[in-house]
Amino acid sequence: MTPSTKIKLNYQSSILWGIALTLVWISQSAWIGLMNPYYLSIIIYAGINIILAVSLNLVNGFTGQFSMGHAGFMSVGGYFSAYITTHYFAQSLDSLSQIQQALIFLGSLLAGGCAAALVGYCVGLPSLRLKGDYLAIVTLGFGEIIRVVVLNLDSVGGARGLPNIPGLCSFGWVYTWVLICTFVIWRIIRSSYGREFLAVREDEIAAEAMGVNTTQVKVKAFVIGAFFAGVAGGLFAHTLRYLNPQTFDFNRSVEIIIMVVLGGMGSITGSILAAIFLTTLRELLRPLQEWTQIDFRMVIYSLLLILMMLLRPQGLMGTREITSFFRNRRGDPR
Amino acid sequence: MSSNPLALNIHELSIQFGGLKALNSLNLEVPQGSIYGIIGPNGAGKTTFFNLVTGVYMPTGGAIQLFGESIAGQKPFQITRQGIARTFQNIRLFKNLSVLENILIPLDENRLFGASGWLPSLFRTSFFNQSEAQKRARALEILDYFKLTSKHTEISGSLPYGDQRRLEIARAMATGARLLLLDEPAAGMNPDETHKLMETLSVIRTDHSITLLLIEHDMKLVMGICEKIAVLDYGVKIADGTPEQIQRNSKVIEAYLGKAKSN
Ligand SMILES: Nc1ncnc2c1ncn2[C@@H]1O[C@H](COP(=O)(O)OP(=O)(O)O)[C@@H](O)[C@H]1O
Ligand SMILES: [Mg+2]
Repeated sequence: MTPSTKIKLNYQSSILWGIALTLVWISQSAWIGLMNPYYLSIIIYAGINIILAVSLNLVNGFTGQFSMGHAGFMSVGGYFSAYITTHYFAQSLDSLSQIQQALIFLGSLLAGGCAAALVGYCVGLPSLRLKGDYLAIVTLGFGEIIRVVVLNLDSVGGARGLPNIPGLCSFGWVYTWVLICTFVIWRIIRSSYGREFLAVREDEIAAEAMGVNTTQVKVKAFVIGAFFAGVAGGLFAHTLRYLNPQTFDFNRSVEIIIMVVLGGMGSITGSILAAIFLTTLRELLRPLQEWTQIDFRMVIYSLLLILMMLLRPQGLMGTREITSFFRNRRGDPR
Repeated sequence: MSSNPLALNIHELSIQFGGLKALNSLNLEVPQGSIYGIIGPNGAGKTTFFNLVTGVYMPTGGAIQLFGESIAGQKPFQITRQGIARTFQNIRLFKNLSVLENILIPLDENRLFGASGWLPSLFRTSFFNQSEAQKRARALEILDYFKLTSKHTEISGSLPYGDQRRLEIARAMATGARLLLLDEPAAGMNPDETHKLMETLSVIRTDHSITLLLIEHDMKLVMGICEKIAVLDYGVKIADGTPEQIQRNSKVIEAYLGKAKSN
């Protein structure tokens, strides 16, 4: 392939991203408000789960570092951004213009994302020296520490939770961030940075011997993943309008991991499909749960995982993407 | 001694694992541009020596100078960036990645090419496309030396054994290294493949003025292309010199034949 056709391809794909973003906002302004609010909320939570699954896939799937603390980062971002909007702007919000409100929301989301990224850096730097099970245990412990800290922070409501968060979020906001998150991670994976992540996953010793600063690469993946988890937390907080430390417990982290594993470690498309599937499944199970008073989610998840291990251990998509069905250029840079 | 400057200068290098002195006060001088062989029975400490030079292990004593500069306290990736790269006795390719990607990864770290930067990567600027195209062209060029160009889209883990060995050498070369450490590069190859490998090694040495330091059991290969050979036994260098000198050295004969007798 000559360089000129390649540039054209990239140009075309940029247009595709632009079209997707336009569609999101057309839907938002034209018809999504008319939708059944229950269905709409499911679509919004599916979007938030997509962000969580895709960003965790960068760490677990592409870089091969088994993190179990993604809900912890979501919690940091969610509480941080909700604290900003609730404490500093809640009273004055109604008197502000839509644009001002949007800017405040954007600022709080970015602040939440950055706070989560900072925590990710502080946790990642020492713990990413550990491998496999040990890293999983440390990140799991980190998630619990965050939960206990928030439980004892009176300024964000402690065990009572944080109520009255302004409902600034909407379909448009969530899916704009879905697009940003997929865009960033998709393109990073298909660049020299992406190859570094994959090299670390494939063989750390060989990667180091080829000049890859493996510690730095792992921290990068961790920080980017934490940032998007933090943003997802902020979107979640301003959708539900109430936060509770229990929301971000260990089960939540497991749920995100299951999305990544079901979809395929190392497939963005897979994570998106699995996030949509599991969010829908959870809603379909709700009547059953209310009737029997038993939480079937974990039972179903375990069954799904067992079935997957037996039938398709690489996950739904393996490491393939939707684009690989259209063109087959395996050797080319991803 | 030699007029050439040294690629590698090892002084009194030692490492101890518990009570085992895996390498004991090793002195070695590898002139730039040479092909240097290290031989010795299994467990002599050859791979350990490579691990020391590439920073995987910390020596318990002694000094390593790479192109005149000490590498003490540096991490493996930093040492690689100073112009040294290696292959592994048990092949360590990026198995699930394509042949091309295996070469692109070291090219990203190679200072002549390098990574493309965050913003260019995100927005696919013309700089990004250019640098990717350059790396791709260079990668195919390197693969050509090792007769792997036609296989560049294949998943590296599914290549035949001999191809995997050669791909590992190609990958090491892509770092831009001026000194290559090859740990048993011909292991598992048939005589024909070994012969072709010897030719390739001579070619890249002259084309790129690369210094080669290789561990090898195949005596034909070692005696055939190495200008100088060092013999290790139980962590100690028992001899060094030209292939002819080594073949006639009584200590070497004793180490090899003595082993055979006691076995
Ligand atoms: N990480 C290690 N820990 C303990 N012993 C080691 C380690 N690496 C190598 N050794 C020992 O050092 C000796 C030399 O091993 P090695 O360098 O692999 O030999 P070879 O010359 O066959 O490549 C062996 O006895 C081996 O068991
Ligand atoms: Mg060895």
